[in-house]
Amino acid sequence: MQTRRMVNVYKQYWRINILTTLEYRENFLIWFLFTFIYHGTAIASLWIVLERFPSMNGWNFRDMFFLYALWMVAHALHNTFFSTVGEIPDHIRDGEFDRLLVRPLDTLFQAIATPGQVFPDELVLALITFVAATLYSGVHVDAVFIIFVPLIVIGGALIDLGLNLIISTAAFWFVKVDALRWIFIQLEQEFTRYPLSIYSRSVRLLLTFVFPFAFMNYFPASYFLHKHEAALGVPPAAGLLTPVIGIVFVALAYVFWRFGLNRYQGVGH
Amino acid sequence: MAIIEAADLRKVFRRIVRQPGIAGAIGALFSREYEDKVAVDDVSFSLAEGELVGYLGPNGAGKSTTIKMLTGILVPTSGLLRVAGIVPSAHRQANAQNIGVVFGQRSQLYWDLPLRESFELLRSIYDVPRDRYLQNMRHFAEILDLERFLDTPVRQLSLGERMRGDFAAAMLHDPKIVYLDEPTIGLDVVAKEAIRVFIGQINRERGTTVILTTHDLADVERLTPRIILIDEGRVIYDGALERLRTEYGTHRILVVTTVDLPPEDFAVPGAVVEGRENNVVRLGFDRRSLTAEALIRRVLERYAISDVSIIEPDIDTIVRRIYLEGYQKDAVGAPS
Amino acid sequence: MAREATYRFDVFTTVGSFVVRVYLLRMVWTALYAHNAAPKDLSRHEIITYSTVALLMGIVMDIDQTRALNDKLRDGSIATDFMKPINVPLYFFADGTGEVLFHAALLVPSVLIALLIFHIIVPGPAVLAAFLLSFFLGYLVGFFLNFILNCTSFWTLEISAVQLIVTWLTDLLGGELIPLILFPAVLQQFIYVLPFAAMFSTPLLIYVGQIPPARYGEVMGLQLLWIVVLGAVSAVMWRAGARRVVVQGG
Repeated sequence: MQTRRMVNVYKQYWRINILTTLEYRENFLIWFLFTFIYHGTAIASLWIVLERFPSMNGWNFRDMFFLYALWMVAHALHNTFFSTVGEIPDHIRDGEFDRLLVRPLDTLFQAIATPGQVFPDELVLALITFVAATLYSGVHVDAVFIIFVPLIVIGGALIDLGLNLIISTAAFWFVKVDALRWIFIQLEQEFTRYPLSIYSRSVRLLLTFVFPFAFMNYFPASYFLHKHEAALGVPPAAGLLTPVIGIVFVALAYVFWRFGLNRYQGVGH
Repeated sequence: MAIIEAADLRKVFRRIVRQPGIAGAIGALFSREYEDKVAVDDVSFSLAEGELVGYLGPNGAGKSTTIKMLTGILVPTSGLLRVAGIVPSAHRQANAQNIGVVFGQRSQLYWDLPLRESFELLRSIYDVPRDRYLQNMRHFAEILDLERFLDTPVRQLSLGERMRGDFAAAMLHDPKIVYLDEPTIGLDVVAKEAIRVFIGQINRERGTTVILTTHDLADVERLTPRIILIDEGRVIYDGALERLRTEYGTHRILVVTTVDLPPEDFAVPGAVVEGRENNVVRLGFDRRSLTAEALIRRVLERYAISDVSIIEPDIDTIVRRIYLEGYQKDAVGAPS
Repeated sequence: MAREATYRFDVFTTVGSFVVRVYLLRMVWTALYAHNAAPKDLSRHEIITYSTVALLMGIVMDIDQTRALNDKLRDGSIATDFMKPINVPLYFFADGTGEVLFHAALLVPSVLIALLIFHIIVPGPAVLAAFLLSFFLGYLVGFFLNFILNCTSFWTLEISAVQLIVTWLTDLLGGELIPLILFPAVLQQFIYVLPFAAMFSTPLLIYVGQIPPARYGEVMGLQLLWIVVLGAVSAVMWRAGARRVVVQGG
């Protein structure tokens, strides 16, 4: 019956999110404008550069637009459902985390279901952009595409969640993780914008096997756009593995989280 | 059958001692030096269901560490702890279902929402059946006078209103035990009284066990017949409040106002001059060795007096004395 | 002790992300120049220098020097500042200066890295001097822009979204990401006159020699114009805002 309880709490959480967002309407509008400009400037930069330099290792603007849109959906999915994990350091800092420990629910779940002003506007924007990019890039939309793309974006969101959770767990030891988080997100957005093949070998290894951002959009996009680049000798269908990579990465992050939580509770002392 | 059982409870915090600078950082890679801080050292007590207990101690005494172990936030280093039959460190969530916590310094209500919404959310978190929830809400709204501001956003509430909301929130799921940490802090006299009345009421009506941690000893005097004193991680007193007063409240002060300015060598055998200002002299004496009547007679034998009054020891002074001087079970004789 | 750790962390993250970003941009421009016809007036080495210097400028320009104004308006402590016998705007200017100087100090290792590891092109002393002057002017444009944004806190507290919007627009339209000369012709009509260009593009184009000495007066004049305009707007907003605080009590 824990599951039923969690479902109820989760429903309430979303109800309050929507209510709070509606109450602070003007706030919502301006943040939506920011989201629009944040992604808009990225896409605009790509367009401007590719107008002047039409090919990037064989990728043109249509390809790059699709590449970005794929990342955008995964990232927006994470922001909509898991951004609250990024507030865990605040909870630890102001004592609210103890409150979570005193309630009859899993602490990570409670952190995820912390009401705030979350609204799926970025996700809607990302989906629209992705549909536009899919059409514009001329990607072949077959059964594989339809089945795998949702799985891939979920996997991508899990990769983002894994990173978010790792940084939040670090807050059990370090205070200044917010600055670190911001840097990571910025670098993620900047590095995933371009095809992996432009990077040096060490960067490619890092983005594939350490922080698997390449799985968020590059490998899947390569597969769907039929870009046969021999980057690291990874087979083209590797892009379909993203859901698995996402699950593995978030599982590792979760192990780290349990470790940090145990330490916080003074287990073993 | 005790509802809370703590035996030989111990909590040690281990800190890595690192030498400053680069050399220290490198050194830390090779060998780890630890520093143990014993926050709770062999604490034992037993609470029966429905008891109202004050848990007191100076800052850093191990009070909050004990409460954190009872509530499941911290895991004990060793010792036995059982709350309503559950070991908190083994079954955190099950234990959480049985308890309510009010942190006086920090609200659990959701800032941006009307009070009612906070209650709704808590109802789903604690899985309170709808009719029981409505029943409790009605009851608390009445005795805490919440009706007026149930639909006001919490951030607009006064401290007193918010505190009352926090109390209702803590009790919503009918916990067997409530932990109150500084529940009256920052409140005005009227609000404090309202809270104390409420605490007494839920204890009487529902048999809720209450553990109260506070620095406001008036709370203790009004509410808790039993107090547990902790200092330096150890229980130094566990018993009735009254006994504390009779055993430790042995020091009284006789305030005399002299007719003429009291001389430099103003002295009365059996009493100590603790202070003087113009014509007023404060004489401290031990009730056990000298009655007030006897002391007054001695004073009258020596000096001309225009007024006299007696200051009884208050809990504050008693407790402070115990912290400073340590618990001495067999202490008899002259004060300090 | 904690401050020391904060500074060390700041140094690490600022210089660290500078290095990472330069590497990224080098790889991006290298890939772009490898497969496409290069612009005749901007070699790969020059554009990488451009990007690197842009990032160096960013180390100092990214500071919101008058941020304290927004902080104090949010927690209401601004009222007491108005009661003190100090020049309040000057106080806020001075408050952030420490952080600016700290980041300016971070330029030292960053410039060394840029020179020794990334081998950026260094122009002749005359051009370098013009660049530094233009950089200083650009910094002032950015300062007043930030000040105006912070002043809006007098009326609405939630300005972080607006500030971020301006930051992102600056990155794109100021030529921080891509030199404005590479923008499509249709956009080139107006982007040069925007204040964003005055912040980054003008000094950067001077540095890589895209703006010849003959035009220095013209472009720096435009920067100066923006300083005057934004400075005037700042003064007006400040006075209006201050009046509001005094009347409403914070």
